[in-house]
Amino acid sequence: MKNIRTDKLSILLIGIGNCGRNDDGLGWQFVDMVNSKGPDQLCLEYRYQLQVEDAQLVSNFDIVLFADATHDVLPHGFDIKPCPPVNHYYFSSHAQSPGTILYLAHELYQKKPEAYTIAITGYNWGLGTSISEAALTNLESSYHTFLNIFLPALKEVYAITG
Amino acid sequence: MTRKITIDPVTRVEGHGRVTIHLDEYGQVKDSFFHIVEFRGFERFIQGHPYWEAPVLVQRLCGICPVSHHLAAAKAIDQIAGVDPKDLSPAATKLRRLMHYGQVFQSHALHFFYLASPDLLFGMDAPVEKRNVVAVAVENRDLAVKGITMRKFGQEIIKAVAGKRIHGILAVPGGVHKTFTMQERDYFLDGKQIENIDTMIEWSLAIIQFMKDYHEKNRKLMDEFAAFPSGHLGMVNNAGGLDLYDGKLRAIDSEGNITLDDISTDLYEEYFSEAVAQWSYMKFPYLKKIGRENGWNRVGPLARINMCSFITTPLAEKERQEFIAFTGNKVNNSTLYSHWARLIEVLHCAEEMKLLLNDPELLGNDLVRSGTPRLKGIGIIEAPRGTLTHHYEVDEKGMITRCNLIVSTTHNNDAMNQAVKWVASNVISNSGNITEGMLNQVEVAIRAYDPCLSCATQAMGKMPLKAELYNHNGDLINEKYKNG
Repeated sequence: MKNIRTDKLSILLIGIGNCGRNDDGLGWQFVDMVNSKGPDQLCLEYRYQLQVEDAQLVSNFDIVLFADATHDVLPHGFDIKPCPPVNHYYFSSHAQSPGTILYLAHELYQKKPEAYTIAITGYNWGLGTSISEAALTNLESSYHTFLNIFLPALKEVYAITG
Repeated sequence: MTRKITIDPVTRVEGHGRVTIHLDEYGQVKDSFFHIVEFRGFERFIQGHPYWEAPVLVQRLCGICPVSHHLAAAKAIDQIAGVDPKDLSPAATKLRRLMHYGQVFQSHALHFFYLASPDLLFGMDAPVEKRNVVAVAVENRDLAVKGITMRKFGQEIIKAVAGKRIHGILAVPGGVHKTFTMQERDYFLDGKQIENIDTMIEWSLAIIQFMKDYHEKNRKLMDEFAAFPSGHLGMVNNAGGLDLYDGKLRAIDSEGNITLDDISTDLYEEYFSEAVAQWSYMKFPYLKKIGRENGWNRVGPLARINMCSFITTPLAEKERQEFIAFTGNKVNNSTLYSHWARLIEVLHCAEEMKLLLNDPELLGNDLVRSGTPRLKGIGIIEAPRGTLTHHYEVDEKGMITRCNLIVSTTHNNDAMNQAVKWVASNVISNSGNITEGMLNQVEVAIRAYDPCLSCATQAMGKMPLKAELYNHNGDLINEKYKNG
């Protein structure tokens, strides 16, 4: 299987968002939950937005997970799905998509980590540090699924130890 | 009929702006404006807060240059705490300088590699899908990797001294709150975990050579594109050498005559005034003695290279000598030379960082000094984009009663409008057809100033930038909105 450098895969989880913008903080909260009570084999990072140089960061990992809040009203309040590289550039210098970062990682560093997005539905995008009740429910659901279904499946597929 | 062109948003700049071009019935440019339409309010918002909060609060003006606001505010609140720049401990001064050079280094790298290089590599008329850093990555991998690594180096410096790459905190009233360890220092010197500072200097020289090669092939374009006379403002040390962190204010006119003679930064209010325009939220600073019409100055890399007597580090000074030789040692008033000047500053910052990293005083533990509190503090630094002023006044309890911010992009407001007018008059006027490439030239002219519109207006919220073409009746006949 490609990208396997050692018998233990390296996994990166990037929370994207802004904890001062209410539900935009969902991505960071998700990383906080993994940090406080989740598995310890993940490398954790926080970002306001993804930037071009994050291509270098993701190129060092076998698996990359992007957790972010979304405006989309998803059926279960969240969605975890594969994230392919995409040749697309957003006009601003400081807000690139996960797909663009993966594309750059391949072009610049010849690395193609397996990647997934964890999108969590938010509702309130004002100024403030609190997450809305409905978004918190989605956060709990996404974390539960991540921990009990997604991660075990990932471990099985890639035979991750620990 | 007259027509009006609007570019909205202006892309690959930091913030949300709009360009409108008005044509007369003969297709000649009648007028043009670079509008800044974001909300201003930070100066008011900060009133009522204790002064020691200012260096932390003002970082939220911007995600690109928070370090510059942090340090300018810190210099101001030092004075409110009764401590002048010369009275800070050597360790505090040097740690702040290291953070500042790291910030200018990473910001200039971001601008050149991510924002400006597509115009230079692919040309102003290149298809829009090629004018971005993804295309640079595909077609010039080496340049892109250097750019990313250099930007990251600067960010790592900031993280090492302030805890975080964005919105980290180093300064406190009268000094800094943390020491710098040998282990942290060696990270940047030994090259074991990241490319070291010597590599940054080597790559800075290589990128300057790239710019020289571009200049060799495109000299006419660089000489003529958006060239116009203006004043040039910046900061120098006591000997007249470029100093990005602390010094005296100097301005020259387009011929090189001194218009502001190395004045103390505390006196800026005596010399500068700010005008407003109905069509922009951004102010227009100018030198009072020359007046509103001709008293404005460019700031930033080109202005700094023009106004300083020398650069304090040897390799950058050698490059400056070569740079000014092209204009026969006269003032360079051509907009596109800003890119070259910016790269000379990249080299200067790398050299300064190396000096600081090898300075034992950087590791000192005398961090904070105190003095007799005052009611006013003014902090001025040379931010990546130019001269940045933070002015605070407080009451007896230390609560902020007045805040005045003059950010670099504000100083460049007139210059950017002149640059847009040049392109409108020389490229768009009389052309029967307005192409994407023409509109991109408007953006190229603005982009050379690396404007940070969020800082300039102290905006909150989303900041995509917006262009419109109006006829002589004021009817909108063409518009563009680039957000993806």
